Amino acid sequence: MNINKLAKSTAIAAVLAVNATLGMADTLRWASKTDPDTMDPHAGSSAPVLSFLNNVYEGLVRRGRDMSIEPSLATSWEPLTGDNGWRFTLREGVVFQDGAKFDAEDVLFSYNRASDEASDVRSWFAPVKEVRLVDEYTVDFVTKVPNPLFPDSIANFMILDKGWAERNGAELPARDAENFATMNVNGTGPFKLESRDPGIKTVLVPNASWWGDVEHNITEAVFTPIGNSATGLAALLSGEIDFIQPIPLQDIAQVESRDSFRVLEGEETRVIMFGFGHEHEELLYSSDVDGSNPFQDVRVRQAAAHAIDIASIDRVLFRGKIDGASQLVPAGISGYSDANSTRPAYDPDRAKALLVEAGYPNGFSFGLKCPNDRYINDEALCRAAASMFAAVGLNAELSTGPVRDYWPQLREDDFDMYLLGWSPGTFDMEHPIRFLMSTPNSEKKLGSWNFGGYSNQRVDELLPSIQQEIDPATRQSMIDEVVAITQAEVAYIPLYTQPLIWASKDNINLTQRADNFFMLRWVTIN
Amino acid sequence: MAYFILKRIVQSVFVMVAVAFIAFSLFRFVGDPITQMTGVETSVVDQERLREELGLNDPYVTQFLRFVREMVQGDFGFSYRTRQPVANMIADRIPATLELGIVALMISLLVGVPAGVYTALKPRGILTQSILMTTLVGVSIPTFVIGIMLIFIFGVQLGWLPTFGRGGTVKIGIWESSFFTLNGWRALVLPAITLGVYQLTLTMRLVRTEMMGVMKSDYIRFAMARGISMKRLHYKHALRNTMVPVITIVGLQFGGVIAFSIVTESVFQWPGMGLLFLESIRFVDIPVMGVYLVVIAFFFVLVNLIVDLLYFAIDPRLRTKEAS
Repeated sequence: MNINKLAKSTAIAAVLAVNATLGMADTLRWASKTDPDTMDPHAGSSAPVLSFLNNVYEGLVRRGRDMSIEPSLATSWEPLTGDNGWRFTLREGVVFQDGAKFDAEDVLFSYNRASDEASDVRSWFAPVKEVRLVDEYTVDFVTKVPNPLFPDSIANFMILDKGWAERNGAELPARDAENFATMNVNGTGPFKLESRDPGIKTVLVPNASWWGDVEHNITEAVFTPIGNSATGLAALLSGEIDFIQPIPLQDIAQVESRDSFRVLEGEETRVIMFGFGHEHEELLYSSDVDGSNPFQDVRVRQAAAHAIDIASIDRVLFRGKIDGASQLVPAGISGYSDANSTRPAYDPDRAKALLVEAGYPNGFSFGLKCPNDRYINDEALCRAAASMFAAVGLNAELSTGPVRDYWPQLREDDFDMYLLGWSPGTFDMEHPIRFLMSTPNSEKKLGSWNFGGYSNQRVDELLPSIQQEIDPATRQSMIDEVVAITQAEVAYIPLYTQPLIWASKDNINLTQRADNFFMLRWVTIN
Repeated sequence: MAYFILKRIVQSVFVMVAVAFIAFSLFRFVGDPITQMTGVETSVVDQERLREELGLNDPYVTQFLRFVREMVQGDFGFSYRTRQPVANMIADRIPATLELGIVALMISLLVGVPAGVYTALKPRGILTQSILMTTLVGVSIPTFVIGIMLIFIFGVQLGWLPTFGRGGTVKIGIWESSFFTLNGWRALVLPAITLGVYQLTLTMRLVRTEMMGVMKSDYIRFAMARGISMKRLHYKHALRNTMVPVITIVGLQFGGVIAFSIVTESVFQWPGMGLLFLESIRFVDIPVMGVYLVVIAFFFVLVNLIVDLLYFAIDPRLRTKEAS
């Protein structure tokens, strides 16, 4: 019958397809949820864009497997003498993928481009006063005040070729309409763009003229965005893709139960926390408290912190994959305060006692806002937390929504308590102090994600000193002080570090970096 | 006839403007595009500047009128997310959606019509009962679940068919087609079945009911009495008469197939308009959402028009009415 014939020929075709894939073992096919919006490293600063483009473009410095800063297009850097800032010595003999030579002009050009109003990464250059060319391979970044962390903060600042950008009308990042750099790439990095079909498929091939030592053995890398987790898992298990980031927690068992696949588990640098409406004079969503905000009382915030049972959340929601967090960065990040590494104990009796002390013996109700598509299990986490709060008398009225709706609500102060995850972009404690703990000040660009308006004068005083202090021990003692203050005042309730779960075929060796970036140059296929 | 078409075209313009208007009034509730466009560290000042530049602070009516004016001038704007021209983005995705819709429709007709005839002619057969049961189950399961089930059975367990994407495509002019490669067809099978199941059931049940009705009519009995062969009777006389309502319904449903392929496209990562629309919602990409909805409205209107014209062609009674 015809049907039989068709089935047979499909089966043969399938076998052929499998053979074909085996034959080209050095093609890597990988998938992730989101397609990079743009190929222009200054037009976007979302993780998918920066992660992808770090394979093609390079910065002056880059991050190693353990997130440490190492030389890239700059071979060395040292603080300026007589001025604030840093001198970068550039690598000689580097060429862009179109053959143009890399030199200091390109760094200056890229700086101007990336710090322009049209750029989405210009906040990295807020501390910079000017950039001076010393010679063809030396560049000075002069900062307004001493800035020991500056080299760490520009690891994702990628360098474009001046001539290429100018020739193609891409002098500035595309803001309203696309330009040449939106779809085309000319970097110095280990890979170059072979083809791009936005939202469908992007193909990279090794850059033969790359200056570095090649550690990977791939000849082609094909990226496909797969938005639906179940589809992504099926694509991996059917062998159509070799690697996927991330997979949902509930799929771990599926992958592990099969031979020839494996799950890669790590910890992201993102800490999940609850925040309070510190400066709100009254609760918005309470049915029993009128005209005041109990969360302004530190005892109530402490009660909330003691109500959370992280061990249960870990066991029930995260299958034992998370560690409780004591502060807004995980251990291992620079500036982590070892002196303040205990988190509030789970102690419902103490929580109840604190509420009595604060004058709420019967508890009260309030509104808890959570996103439902931003962090792993975010909605489930908030449900669990709400019932834990309720057990001590804090009756959380939970409302959840997609993140596109969530940030505007937080910006409009539409919450009593909210969920937030924070990954320190500079991988230093100074980052959350600047964004989450400083008194909001749009002029000084401080506290822009401090939705609840937490404010402590001493913390505000310490931030500039922390930013400028060169001596590590002095700096750490100031950070310790900030962490101690914010813990004592329960500025936030840090919950845990978000796990990082990737899955791949077991013949793929790769490095899972804590910033969730996927670097092709560390991939080998056996 | 020309008057009829003209009237329809004028109507369709109104429909599209109305859709755009409603769409625009809903966009305000989708979320904030700026927070989706900018990075974590982008300052509030920069965000506000961008908001002003994009005209998002303008009153809703101003934004709507600007959208309509630019559409009329053929300027479909640029995506907030990718900064590419929306017209190109949508045009690139149309072939995938249309081909998927057409194949789904074909499956529903090629399987649905014979199955409908069979179940009408042998209403008490075991096969009939099992077909009816199966299709009932088929329409009761959500599309999403059907898709995932098919993927895991045929893609993962058996490994016969690809689990996502379009497989091999060939570009003919601006049209990227799956029809010319084996891999393209292999990739089409599962999504087309997923999308076509509902249509298939509908077609089958419709053909069955109509056929059963026709078989009882006088002219069939008369034809039987004349001794016309049963085969000729069933397929030439009876079936042809059942097809008029079937074509109407199926045709009208085709607009729905195109519009509601969103779920199927998402499950199969099928790079059509529906998937693009879903992504656009996630990123509050208002220009893309607006154009997509207008294009879908246009498809609906177009399909309706074609169905009406087909009606003229099939049913001679309508032609005489219009002429008189």
